[in-house]
Amino acid sequence: MNERILQELIESFPKLVMTALKVTIPLTAISFTLGILIALLTALVQIAKIPVLKQLARFYVWIIRGTPMLVQLFVVYFGLPSIGITLSAFPSAIIVLSLSVGAYCSETIRGAIESVPKGQLEASYCVGMTFPQAMMRIIIPQAMTAAFPPLSNSLIGLVKDTSLAYSIAVVEIMAQAQRIAARSYDYFWLYLEAGLVYLIICTLLTWVQRAIERRMERKR
Amino acid sequence: MIEVLNVRKSFGGNEVLKDVSFRVNDGDVIAILGPSGSGKTTLLRCLSFLETADGGRSVFNGKEYDLHKSSKKDIHEYRKHIGFVFQDYQLFGNKTALENVTEGLIVARRMKKEEAEEKGLRALEKVGMLDKRDFYPSKLSGGQQQRVAIARAMVSEPGVIFFDEPTSALDPELTGEVLDVMRKLAEDGTTMVVVTHEMEFARRVADRVILMEGGVIVEEDSSEVFFTAPKTERAKAFLEGIRGGKV
Repeated sequence: MNERILQELIESFPKLVMTALKVTIPLTAISFTLGILIALLTALVQIAKIPVLKQLARFYVWIIRGTPMLVQLFVVYFGLPSIGITLSAFPSAIIVLSLSVGAYCSETIRGAIESVPKGQLEASYCVGMTFPQAMMRIIIPQAMTAAFPPLSNSLIGLVKDTSLAYSIAVVEIMAQAQRIAARSYDYFWLYLEAGLVYLIICTLLTWVQRAIERRMERKR
Repeated sequence: MIEVLNVRKSFGGNEVLKDVSFRVNDGDVIAILGPSGSGKTTLLRCLSFLETADGGRSVFNGKEYDLHKSSKKDIHEYRKHIGFVFQDYQLFGNKTALENVTEGLIVARRMKKEEAEEKGLRALEKVGMLDKRDFYPSKLSGGQQQRVAIARAMVSEPGVIFFDEPTSALDPELTGEVLDVMRKLAEDGTTMVVVTHEMEFARRVADRVILMEGGVIVEEDSSEVFFTAPKTERAKAFLEGIRGGKV
């Protein structure tokens, strides 16, 4: 590495970080929030065995888990316009990423809810609670404790999956690195730097995960 | 007063309860005895709508509830009249001892938090668990958990508390503290139906004993008569077995 490259890396680093703050992190945060809501609903309709909705939930999980995210991105961004639905790149990415989080995490949440002993629901009934009350106050909070580590895993996975949005022209970290490198041809160093930015985000998230887990441990 | 009429329940082809009827007067303590698989636990579960009976009714203070098909609303209302103590405690794992006791009051009965806590603390005091009010269930012994569970069942002053083998999951040295609490409740006039294997409890605390076998009630007596002069051969054999087992 010579001085010129070092200079370029130092200059490009803030740009990559800005892109992370402006695009990658919002994309992750919005998709994850929406995804978890979808996951909860998908898990609950399966556990409550609501007819039709339950089959729909299964179908949704089957489709999303069974097809590559890249295909889904292309279908939404390049495919939907042919049937009259035109979305810009960022919303398209949010839709695809949330649906993906929703599908994978619904299985995590369903498993976690089923891991809470059935007697907890019966005990809730016996103190006069309804099914929704028991779910919200007793079952789901305990399930979330069990689901927290795998859900953190999904969040960290999502940070990196946002890089796929590059393929539908969202200017996220990868695209930004690409643009800078295209001027100087220092692809090797800039791609490494892009990787470093992801690594920093994921490391911070891991720290947060550990801290929250320690707090939950003390509460139990 | 509760009148239980003609409860029937099968699992698959296995008839677990065959037309069981009995009555519980206010203030009664009834011990339900019988060998494993005689349907005792299923009976309590049917009476709490934790299992759906194939037939039968429960008449509670004059209002009749169909144990086979009642509306969600009726079941919900009915459950507010009962308390249930599980064999394996089933305290809410995400709630402290006090929260376990107040949860039903606050959520289901919409009581104010302060009022619920006042009642909850009194209930915890009664079962000797006041000093552990802020402990989570995982930090309590089995006996302590069961005492909190009893406080949770009694705090709403239900018309009856069902106990499903409340000491069966406990180490022998912990059963005493739970039985003591139950005896105190009985002395206070709490209406209790207790499925149990604790003969001493049945003899000394229960007013009446119901002996079940094969899904039917084979004998029903005052506990004094049951333990001193049982009427049926089956009851005699059961008591023989118990005494034999103890030596």
